[in-house]
Amino acid sequence: MSRLEAKKPPLFISEPLTKDTVSQSLSLLSGILKSCYGPAGRLKQLHNGVGGYVCTTSQSSAIFSRLSVSHPILRVLMASVQNHVSRFSDCGLFTAILCCSLIENFRSLNIASCTVIKISKHLLSLCMDYLKSEACGCRLSVDFSSLETLLCLVRSVLTSKPACMLNKQEVDHLATLILKAFMFTVPSHVETNAVLGKCIIVPVKGKRVVDSTVLPGLLIETPEIQSAKPLTVKRSCSNMIKIALFCVSMSGDLFSPEEGTITVHHGISLEMSELNQLLNVGKQLVNDEIGLVVCQKVIHPSLKQYLKENHVIAVDRAGLSLMEPLSQMTGSKPIASIHLLSPSCYGSLKDVRVESFASKHFVHLIPNDTVVCSLILCNRNETAWDELKRVCETAEHVLQLTIKEPLALLGGGCTETQLASYIRHKSCSLSTSNFKDIDCSRTQYQLVADGFCRSLESVACSLNHDDGEILTDLVYGHCWFVPSGFPSVSNWSDLVSKCGCGINGNAENLSWRLLQGQFGSPVIQGCPKEPSVKVADFLTLDCFAAKCSGLQVALETANLILDLSYVIEDQN
Amino acid sequence: MAFRDVNARRHIGLQQLSSLALAGRTLLGPMKSCKFIVDESTKQSTLICSAVRLIESLDLTCAAGQLLNETIQAQNKEFGTGMSTLLFLVGAWSNAVLECLQQNVPVSAIVSVMSEGLNSCCERVQCLQISIHDANKELCSCSVRPNAFKNTSCQIGCDSLLNPEIFLYVQKDISASEEAIPRNSCCHQEGVSNCNKRLLSSLSGFGEIASLVKPAGEKRTPKISGSGVITSSCNKKKLTHSRYFSTLGKSHFSSWQGNFQGYHSGPAVDPCECYGLEHLVMALSHGNHTSVKLLQSIVAHQQEKAECSSSSQFNIAEIVTCCLLGLPESYACISPGFVTLVSPEQATVIKHFEDKLLRILLMDGDLTEQYRHLGFSRPRNVRTILEHPSLLEGRAGDLWLSRMLEILISFEVNLVLVKGSVCENLMERCIANSILVIGSVTRDVLHAFGEVTSAQSVTYLTQLNASCVGSGAQVGLWKACDGRAVDLGELVPVRIKAQGIPLLTAVLTTTVASKMQLIEDQFWTSAYRLHHALNDEKVFLGGGAVELLCLSHIRMLAEKSLQPANKNAVKEIHNPWLTASATEYKSVVLQSLASGWKQYLSVVMYNMAKAASELEACTSVDHHLKKAAECGSPSAYILKEFRRGSLLRGSSGPLADHGEDLKVYDNVAAKTEAWRRALDLVLLVLQTDAEIITGPQRNQLLNSHVSSEFMFL
Repeated sequence: MSRLEAKKPPLFISEPLTKDTVSQSLSLLSGILKSCYGPAGRLKQLHNGVGGYVCTTSQSSAIFSRLSVSHPILRVLMASVQNHVSRFSDCGLFTAILCCSLIENFRSLNIASCTVIKISKHLLSLCMDYLKSEACGCRLSVDFSSLETLLCLVRSVLTSKPACMLNKQEVDHLATLILKAFMFTVPSHVETNAVLGKCIIVPVKGKRVVDSTVLPGLLIETPEIQSAKPLTVKRSCSNMIKIALFCVSMSGDLFSPEEGTITVHHGISLEMSELNQLLNVGKQLVNDEIGLVVCQKVIHPSLKQYLKENHVIAVDRAGLSLMEPLSQMTGSKPIASIHLLSPSCYGSLKDVRVESFASKHFVHLIPNDTVVCSLILCNRNETAWDELKRVCETAEHVLQLTIKEPLALLGGGCTETQLASYIRHKSCSLSTSNFKDIDCSRTQYQLVADGFCRSLESVACSLNHDDGEILTDLVYGHCWFVPSGFPSVSNWSDLVSKCGCGINGNAENLSWRLLQGQFGSPVIQGCPKEPSVKVADFLTLDCFAAKCSGLQVALETANLILDLSYVIEDQN
Repeated sequence: MAFRDVNARRHIGLQQLSSLALAGRTLLGPMKSCKFIVDESTKQSTLICSAVRLIESLDLTCAAGQLLNETIQAQNKEFGTGMSTLLFLVGAWSNAVLECLQQNVPVSAIVSVMSEGLNSCCERVQCLQISIHDANKELCSCSVRPNAFKNTSCQIGCDSLLNPEIFLYVQKDISASEEAIPRNSCCHQEGVSNCNKRLLSSLSGFGEIASLVKPAGEKRTPKISGSGVITSSCNKKKLTHSRYFSTLGKSHFSSWQGNFQGYHSGPAVDPCECYGLEHLVMALSHGNHTSVKLLQSIVAHQQEKAECSSSSQFNIAEIVTCCLLGLPESYACISPGFVTLVSPEQATVIKHFEDKLLRILLMDGDLTEQYRHLGFSRPRNVRTILEHPSLLEGRAGDLWLSRMLEILISFEVNLVLVKGSVCENLMERCIANSILVIGSVTRDVLHAFGEVTSAQSVTYLTQLNASCVGSGAQVGLWKACDGRAVDLGELVPVRIKAQGIPLLTAVLTTTVASKMQLIEDQFWTSAYRLHHALNDEKVFLGGGAVELLCLSHIRMLAEKSLQPANKNAVKEIHNPWLTASATEYKSVVLQSLASGWKQYLSVVMYNMAKAASELEACTSVDHHLKKAAECGSPSAYILKEFRRGSLLRGSSGPLADHGEDLKVYDNVAAKTEAWRRALDLVLLVLQTDAEIITGPQRNQLLNSHVSSEFMFL
């Protein structure tokens, strides 16, 4: 007997942001994210509380993917940050912290939210114009003919996540490898539509980081093939190895119809008929002079035996993630049926070898033209390996974004503070007609701009996790860090050595001010100057595209959340 | 989702690490004391003597414990040795870091100085590495010395024969006042139970479930004629008057004696020409004598083989172990081929096979009707109908049985090695037809037989064709060293071999069931030590030399950091977020890094009973450090002391001036990696400021008594 229940009416919550629980949750989330930020950030242990895998991380992507939050406002925030991360990989924490901070600062302003939104949009356009202009002081152009800037970019990504547990030597080793892997994925003959190849990360957990390496081509793990004997591969007339790529299971199980039953007579074995079909495929493969068969799923042992007897190498369980690069690399089309085999699907390879790494055995597929490579990534334990993998993927992605737009932003909080000082300067020098366009007063504009700048500066401040002071200088607008344990009256120039990004040294007399705790007094300063020398060996750099997008996403999400007047919850 | 702040000043994660590691203190060094782990719910107990087994049997629901487990398992998987060192240093460094936090040292300073310090030490100790070749030479030059002890050692027993150092100690202990030993072990016990209490209380303090598995104190095990445990050696002497132990003890001794003599008249007759690995095995064994004999025998076998082919000196992949419970430990030996246990019914088949060359089949799955290869999904919606039922056809299962048997008979297969399990009915039918089927054979063994018999492994019997079946295998009952076949009641050991098979089985024996696992673990540890030493092609000077050099190196670094001239030098390092505050605290943090090794040395000395207390051991370490500093070149001093063999010995007493040549070597990579892994774990936990508990635990946590510790999102 079924019981019918009356539908509950939906729950309306008006002005959700004014609720205590929301602001508490928001500030808790903001606290968690701020504590994660930067190379000295604190780590979070994510686990289910009953034993089992513990994820130690300070990455927004790892935290957000495991976090389940109850409130819709937090969900909106997380969804837009995750969306940003899926597109750019980098600057997730920046986006989230900035967004939280903007909401907090704008909410305390006591100005109608529609006005705040209008002004903040104007501020964003000022920022974007500045970042895209040649005069931008926190921007570097990346020269792809020299490695140094690229290495700085990769190194900054690697060092920003302490849970990878890398020392300096290991960072250098990995940065070189990642760059090398990236170079492999850039096609050497560029036609009109250049497509970047792919770098596949092969996990080898338990080894030292410096044991990591990059190989051109693809590695498929094959526990059965031991490296004792070199492979003998059948080659076609042009000395190439013909390869057939299957994405359908060849394990000999039946196609599984969703519903209904099949009735067979006793004595008829469906398994046998399926196997016969497989063996027919095998025969055709042998006739077509195939040297290597790769299957995404499992190959039936009988078919494997048949292929082996005919000197065809069979590799199964390649996995879904390898299919696309495999087909890109070999020029073959994945075969999705064992009933229709078209010779046009076959691809070719230059060589096939057996490689052993640690205790694992791999088949190494070497293509003619390498746009696909394998990064064998080692780290000592599981949790650090997982973090390192995410970081390497981010670094690889950052390089891809950078080749499209060869620019980088200064890291270490310098872009944030410089942008803030630029906005402070700019907002003072706007004409009345500007305010008319936005439909606000100068005071309102100044207040919102101040909130915006403080939000940016609070992101820079989040880099600091031990007691200490964060400063900004009034010449370049960069970010400086003073370790704890000094009285705040002492002369700053004795204490600071280099700015956050590492471009400015403490050589000239830059007048410093504290970043925090200056809310009352208006700061009058000129437009931040560009540093005179823009080349230094060890700079902290951020991905230009990712940071620009992060800035936009943060502001737009904050505006969206500020604009929410009702939450309607379906309670059924 | 729940969120818990890990209190910064009194870091919970670090406290958890340090209390978990406390349990492993007595597992450090060559003289380990075994532990009984008692499960309170089932009253089952296990005897453990290694950090891996300890961690396996502890309750590790806390996140830090889980990470510790992961780290130790990773070390075990990679090296098979160094886990106790790792566990100990995790504890010592956790404590040291907690102390730094108490002194308000910023986290980033601890992280950067400690990891730099360890790096620097790892570079510094490279001067204590020597190549395998040099190590062998050095060892051989003193190989004849143990002969001197032959006569005097008879009364003590076998262990001391192979380790004169231990023998000397035992003798000293016996000649000392009788009260000394009980008092010593008594306060030791007390200390350990205190530790356990602390472990339990601190764990329950965190709201963890500590009651499930509890390490129930530590017990010396006098009834086990333990190799390496001093007190038990003494006890054994007393027990020789017992009718239960006297015969065992004697046979034990005589066989060792025989072996010992054999080994001396064998390859080591001329010490200068000995480039074998016998001495290296001994120097790496760290007091684990049962394994020494076995490994030396393996090395001899493999070297003999290597003269015919060009394989390496020691191949760990060609070794398997077979544990025989119920035979005295002196029966442990190496048998060429594959030794395994079969049922008496299967053993009857073997009698037909004696001295015959057999046709062999290898199967890489299960041998059952239901078995399908991995990745095969069984169709669920297929219905079979039978149109003309006839009683003659019998049951489907019988059909399968007879078909399989038919296949085996038609290919004249005598022996089937199966990776998985074997259908019992088929097994019976095979026995009736004189076919020996053995299940649960590892992939390596299958592979080895495949290589020499040219058998190709199949998954189903229906796949079989003539080229898959190999030939030339031989099966016989396994015979103990005295030439007798052994019947252990329910199971019979058999030996399978084939012409030219490189496979060697280490047959491990004991009469004490709870010791079996322990003996197997110890064997593999020694085997891996040798394997890695040969892989690294170098070894560290052992016996605390490396740790001592680290200590003196850190002392020097700390002194340097205090000199004003160097204060600015570090500022050159790039990342201001990481290193700005580091210089101020460098000295403090380096001291805490050093304290890890210092505790390590003193606990090893204490466990070896080289010092009456850890404090005394500490003083002795300090004494060495002072001398090393006075000497000007610490590494030269340590090298000299190592040659004299007086490192890690009490600074007074008869041992100090008894310049005994017993060299000890350590693995290079395993040791430095254990350090690095330990420090990485501590720093990883140190940098963690919050636990985020995901999944369905939310409501449970909300209602639990610790809910105030959590914040909910």
